[in-house]
Amino acid sequence: MILALLFANSEGNILVERFNGVPAEERLHWRSFLVKLGADNLKGVKNEELLVASHKSVYIVYTVLGDVSVYVVGKDEYDELALAEVIFVITSAVKDVCGKPPTERLFLDKYGKICLSLDEIIWKGYMENTDKDRIRRLVRLKPPTEF
Amino acid sequence: MAQPLVKKDDDRDDEADYSPFLGIEKGAVLQEARVFNDPQLDPRRCSQVITKLLYLLNQGETFTKVEATEVFFSVTKLFQSRDIGLRRMVYVMIKELSPSADEVIIVTSSLMKDMTSKTDMYRANAIRVLCRITDGTLLTQIERYLKQAIVDKNPVVASAALVSGIHLLQTNPEIVKRWSNEVQEAVQSRAALVQFHALALLHQIRQNDRLAVNKLVTSLTRGSVRSPLAQCLLIRYTSQVIRESANNTQTGDRPFYDFLEGCLRHKAEMVIFEAARAITELNGVTSRELTPAITVLQLFLSSSKPVLRFAAVRTLNKVAMTHPMAVTNCNIDMESLISDQNRSIATLAITTLLKTGNESSVDRLMKQITNFMSDIADEFKIVVVEAIRSLCLKFPLKHRSLMNFLSNILREEGGFEYKKAIVDSIVILIRDIPEAKESGLLHLCEFIEDCEFTYLSTQILHFLGIEGPKTSDPSKYIRYIYNRVHLENATVRAGAVSTLAKFGAMVDALKPRIFVLLRRCLFDNDDEVRDRATLYLNTLGGDGAVVETGEDVKEFLFGSLDIPLVNLENSLKNYELSEESFDIDSVPKEVKTQPLAEKKAPGKKPTGLSAPPTGPPSTVDAYERLLSSIPEFANFGKLFKSSAPVELTEAETEYAVNVVKHIFDGHVVFQFNCTNTIPEQLLENVTVIVDASEAEEFAEVATKPLRSLPYDSPGQTFVAFEKPEGVSAVGKFSNMLRFIVKEVDPSTGEAEEDGVEDEYQLEDLEVVAADYMLKVGVSNFRNAWESMGADCERVDEYGLGPRDSLAEAVNAVINLLGMQPCEGTEVVPSNSRSHTCLLSGVYIGNVKVLVRLQFGIDGPKDVAMKLAVRSEDEAVSDAIHEIVASG
Repeated sequence: MILALLFANSEGNILVERFNGVPAEERLHWRSFLVKLGADNLKGVKNEELLVASHKSVYIVYTVLGDVSVYVVGKDEYDELALAEVIFVITSAVKDVCGKPPTERLFLDKYGKICLSLDEIIWKGYMENTDKDRIRRLVRLKPPTEF
Repeated sequence: MAQPLVKKDDDRDDEADYSPFLGIEKGAVLQEARVFNDPQLDPRRCSQVITKLLYLLNQGETFTKVEATEVFFSVTKLFQSRDIGLRRMVYVMIKELSPSADEVIIVTSSLMKDMTSKTDMYRANAIRVLCRITDGTLLTQIERYLKQAIVDKNPVVASAALVSGIHLLQTNPEIVKRWSNEVQEAVQSRAALVQFHALALLHQIRQNDRLAVNKLVTSLTRGSVRSPLAQCLLIRYTSQVIRESANNTQTGDRPFYDFLEGCLRHKAEMVIFEAARAITELNGVTSRELTPAITVLQLFLSSSKPVLRFAAVRTLNKVAMTHPMAVTNCNIDMESLISDQNRSIATLAITTLLKTGNESSVDRLMKQITNFMSDIADEFKIVVVEAIRSLCLKFPLKHRSLMNFLSNILREEGGFEYKKAIVDSIVILIRDIPEAKESGLLHLCEFIEDCEFTYLSTQILHFLGIEGPKTSDPSKYIRYIYNRVHLENATVRAGAVSTLAKFGAMVDALKPRIFVLLRRCLFDNDDEVRDRATLYLNTLGGDGAVVETGEDVKEFLFGSLDIPLVNLENSLKNYELSEESFDIDSVPKEVKTQPLAEKKAPGKKPTGLSAPPTGPPSTVDAYERLLSSIPEFANFGKLFKSSAPVELTEAETEYAVNVVKHIFDGHVVFQFNCTNTIPEQLLENVTVIVDASEAEEFAEVATKPLRSLPYDSPGQTFVAFEKPEGVSAVGKFSNMLRFIVKEVDPSTGEAEEDGVEDEYQLEDLEVVAADYMLKVGVSNFRNAWESMGADCERVDEYGLGPRDSLAEAVNAVINLLGMQPCEGTEVVPSNSRSHTCLLSGVYIGNVKVLVRLQFGIDGPKDVAMKLAVRSEDEAVSDAIHEIVASG
């Protein structure tokens, strides 16, 4: 299960947060934990360079894309490797929507499209689509090219 | 980091950074959502409003029930628009709002229409939304469409239906299971993602049908699987099949191993990893099977991607716990990871190295770790400290450098948990490695000179009081202890006074000087400190002369309070100020509650200060105190062993009784723990009538009845037997609970005066040979075996007859002897035909015993065993053989 997906800006403000199977009272804890993790480790990290951590039986993979940082949290079958795939799909889709690693402003300008892309990638905690071209078409309700 | 959690709507005056959501406010957005109701829909504007709603939801904002309903109803109006972009947004919005069952009906018809639409993408999305918000009744209506969708030629539609199936399986399994045929067909799809989703669903549908999973795996491992993701799933399912079939194979060849090994050469990294992990996690994996997996993992250790390095080192770390030798080839790569930027990776690398390193590499390793420790967080440091503690116990000769390392890091900055981990480690090393004692104690002394944690200071002072006087030069610790009296808070000062008194009691030569110090404490400004000093000055006696301290004083200082604290607390609460002073002897010593045995945390190793020294667990201390407080048993001598409680009643019966067997040299005491579970009854004069006719060597000598057993308040009754001294007599006892039962009025809680005598049959109880054996491990079996010598060795061979498996036979012998398996030799690799098991223990009379068992199994499952016993007494070696021969 992918427990959480979080986007934050460079100051640690939340842009997108989505939880699956995390009780409401634990969400705030996760939010601050992830933001602190990013603040401690993401300085100077290159775009899309993946960092990894584990906290109890839960794995966290996170990275920077332009002005935003992205965190995915998973457990069980979504270990660090599976999460690396998930975050790769997410960053590719966001870059695709924005045309480049986004500034915060660009990210917010494209917010609706990004939400649609995320809807295609993760569905209630499970990865659904993995190919950015396909995701781009699906968001516009176009059938995939290979079809 | 001061305000990381504030929403993005904070005022920001920087024009360039102007946010499209600046000043966004829920109420206003909900107002805006009214545009959804316009007769002339503006798709662009509607999309913008939905984006704002999504933004709010994505920031953790919630809508009240009324708000959500209102938005939901407005959103459903948007189905009128033919704008594709807007329709896509509507789908997301409905999913996000997750309407309640009675609201769903509003959109059902629109979604059903989309689901049968000619536009594929409408179909796919409508399926996803419907499945998200639907309940069982609606599902049966749309089931037909879903089954069609699973085999739809458009992969997006098929995937949508399959993924919906995965989710619906949780809530409506009986419906989804009917789709098996369609899903089976989808597994053969040429579209990679469809195959992946179909495989996941098919496995979930059939996961409880072993044969079906086996068939699925067999057919797919032969064919080709298109996507790496599906291949990973297949590997997982394959390992499941291997796990479940492992017990049935006799040939020694592991099924599907070749498939896993082949996956190590796959082009996708994730498949390689999955296969390598699956191999390392195989039950009883052999070194030959491990080697190719370790080789690929080793390559990943030097990958440029942190995730791959982390995954590799994490897997190798796990392997190192069971097969340290297999990982040693990776040590050089692992050492370079100590300086990895990612601290999770570095810590895993270090702890792996600590597990795989040999004695000669310890010093080099410690040097590297020293540099590393300064820049990691406390949580990682604790992991390292624990690894170092195990390493030191493994290589006791290296205690000097490891102890130095611990004392160095003890001086550095760190939080309480970290410092406690270090102190605990030092204490354990002092207890287990006698040569490390003096230096360890001095390190602790230096630590309390500058320790900010009262808890740790007092614990160390207590420990010093016990261990310090036994060292060659106790006087050198006095300065450190007395400094506390000058420099610390009252709690630590009081602790220091007690410690000083212990030195005074144990070391006669120091007594005069201790008296001088204690007298100075009489002027302390804290009551407790002064009281303690006065008390000790009086109890130690002798006015400071060099005289031997009486045994009773030592008992007072070193013995523990032999009254349960709860009882003391209750008695003190009930005590009313009067002429008569409080008499501690009036406090009942009976342990009122039963959980003596339950307090023992299962599986938890003794750690540090809070735990007793190695040997009998703390419950034995408690039992010992309890038994010695009963006059009838006081002269039985030292308690050798107390068994775990054995239940003598079924669960949920009127009276719950279990028994603890206490073994003494010449006696056995049965402690019956009784609980009355009937609120309307009070039991009095409760005893257990024990019939020992099938236990010839035992003769009943004493019974201690339980005066009263009220509802839900456990109590104990005891029966003691005499048996020949030093002999491990065995036998079977039948038991009958006898008592006087009185009715209790539930409204007042008062019992009637007259009672009726009654009996209650309990299960039989056995005293077996294992009751005379203490499970005491040795850290290095080989050393212990060799130093014990062959003088009292006894070797013989036994046929154990047909057995289910080798593991079953090994377990049976371990249980029969009741000894501690050493070095993990109780685990039998699943395919092996022979096995050696090492056991250690202490036999009654405090005789150390080591046992080496060699098992072999032949075709018809006949197990043969060679038993070699070494002990300090040849009679005991013979006794062990007798146990096996008669068992």
